[in-house]
Amino acid sequence: MKYKRIHILVLSAFVIFICSAFIFTNEKEIKFFVPKGWPKPNYDFKNNPLTLNGFDLGKELFYDPILSSDSSISCASCHLSFTAFTHADHKLSHGIQGLIGTRNSLVLMNLVWNKSFMWDGGVNNLEVQAINPITNPVEMNSKLVDVIARLNSSSKYRRLFYKAFKDSVVNSQKLFKSLAQFTGNLVSYNSKYDSIMRHEGNVEFTVSELNGYSVFKKNCSSCHTEPLFTNNSFENNGLSLDTVLKDFGRMKVTQSKSDSLKFKVPSLRNIEFSAPYFHDGRVNKLKDVLEHYTSGVIQSPTLASQLKQNVNLTKQDKKDLIAFLKTLTDKYFLYNLQYRQNIYQ
Amino acid sequence: MNFRINIANRIVFFILFLFAIEFFSAQNNSGTLKIKIHPVFNQTQLILSDHGYINTHGDSVYIDDFKFYLCKLCLKKEGANSFCEVESYHLVDAEDSVTQTIVIKNIPEGTYSNFSFNIGVDSLKNVSGALTGDLDPIKGMYWAWNTGYIAARIIGHSKVCKTLHNEFEFHIGGYLSPYNSLRKNSIKLDDLKIVSSKTTVLELYADVAEWFKTPVTIDVSKTNSVVLPNKQAMIMANNYSDMIKFKKSINP
Ligand code: HEC
Ligand code: HEC
Repeated sequence: MKYKRIHILVLSAFVIFICSAFIFTNEKEIKFFVPKGWPKPNYDFKNNPLTLNGFDLGKELFYDPILSSDSSISCASCHLSFTAFTHADHKLSHGIQGLIGTRNSLVLMNLVWNKSFMWDGGVNNLEVQAINPITNPVEMNSKLVDVIARLNSSSKYRRLFYKAFKDSVVNSQKLFKSLAQFTGNLVSYNSKYDSIMRHEGNVEFTVSELNGYSVFKKNCSSCHTEPLFTNNSFENNGLSLDTVLKDFGRMKVTQSKSDSLKFKVPSLRNIEFSAPYFHDGRVNKLKDVLEHYTSGVIQSPTLASQLKQNVNLTKQDKKDLIAFLKTLTDKYFLYNLQYRQNIYQ
Repeated sequence: MNFRINIANRIVFFILFLFAIEFFSAQNNSGTLKIKIHPVFNQTQLILSDHGYINTHGDSVYIDDFKFYLCKLCLKKEGANSFCEVESYHLVDAEDSVTQTIVIKNIPEGTYSNFSFNIGVDSLKNVSGALTGDLDPIKGMYWAWNTGYIAARIIGHSKVCKTLHNEFEFHIGGYLSPYNSLRKNSIKLDDLKIVSSKTTVLELYADVAEWFKTPVTIDVSKTNSVVLPNKQAMIMANNYSDMIKFKKSINP
């Protein structure tokens, strides 16, 4: 018996020696960076070890129409980098063969801090979010089985999956994990506002921005809470029900009347560039958003208590508030070349 | 972004490997259980699509598709902790006989008197992102718009259904209270013996008739589509919670 043990040990040492050669070729890890003072992310890369190859694969897939049934639409068709990864100029997103969806595309940034995804919070994990656009008949209209088969029959992707996961067989788990390595790394934290909060250099708010900031803290930050500019909850902010779309938001997911007309509180980072606004893109300009909060709020049983009375803003307040919102624009994020389509291969 | 080459990986791997060896060499006095699941309607073998069965309400129903997750399989013997299969998630499909056999290895020797299981996937796995194997969303037992696994589903038809193609469909799922579809159950065993290096067989029925029976008799002319986590789904889950029944066991 004892002899047998030693035997096993020697054998295993040999096996480990062989295996470690492969482990050693394991790719460069990327360490996820949490900006100073920000909360702990909800998504944990521990279960999806970040590597440069994984990130690059995710990016390649994000920009590749191979995920749609007729190779016409990629994730980037609706999520463009220089508009904080939303679909500018489209109220409702446009998918395959120009079919029109039912909601305004969402920005993709700081996703690992989200508690849930989509305007109604119906998706509970970043990794599985991608099943929705890929299989939605008016978005990419693919069957998951077909997408996996297409990727498996592409020698390029077999090579890239091998580089990322040390296994060239593509399955849905690897597809979703690599997409999450890319989208989860889209972090925006270098706006003027951030520089000021971090006391970097001698950046300061202008008088107008500073007044805007205090107007914001008084009227908006209970929902659009710093530093992410969302409190990750669902609220009814008093938009009227669109009688064609009949979108009751969160209620569809929870089946609870108390969630009627509630939608995700979106972040306001990069808001200057992510028009049109609201879940159905009904508004094009920030001044029209403020118009809504000051005079357009519709009363209903689930309306947020903060908004039961119209927000009172002077003309100057409105100008200043918009000036403040523009300090949330992060040029480093919008023009980050690491997020752009790979040009090699 | 910072970059670093991971050498620590190598050491961790080495240690894990040693543990694994210790673990397997310690599991000498263990045997295997082979579970066979027979889809039935009452006591008769379930034939998909072409065969009508009379449900409790008295209607003739045809079953076109029957799938469910059988998870957290555990065996219990007197005076000892339960033995539970690790990563125990099995999608059983009436159409695919391969899925109707489950083999569990490394079970400690002994005489077991109870077999427990879940029908449906626990909440932890429902929030764990992209999974693989039987939990791969590609298997179709997954809702994407309201993420979560479908615990069990039947699709069928009956001429009393005034629907397209006379179809009825029950996709039962949801992991959040008050609409948590997970159902735990157990069955008594008649002295099932696990013997070192031998295989014991446990045969079970999965009875579709239970879906329509108790506590609430289902009239498919009225209830023909349950496809969201809601009150109706909880009624269906309660109905089928006792669909797994003991057939026989064969000791080695
Ligand atoms: C046809 C346009 C379209 C395509 C293609 C598309 N999306 Fe989206 N995306 C949307 C819309 C619209 C929403 C908001 C949906 C909702 O709330 O119901 C959204 C939401 C998201 C969200 C949730 C963001 C949040 O904060 O909740 C993520 C993540 C996302 N998309 C990633 C992707 C990825 C990855 C792909 C490619 C696999 C993709 N999208 C393809 C339109 C699209
Ligand atoms: C009660 C919570 C709440 C308060 C207070 C609030 N908002 Fe909002 N805000 C929301 C919700 C919810 C949405 C999304 C609504 C929708 O599209 O259905 C939203 C959307 C927005 C949008 C559009 C974002 C986008 O990407 O489409 C802007 C801009 C905005 N709010 C600015 C403000 C400003 C400025 C204030 C203060 C005057 C404010 N909000 C106060 C909850 C709130």
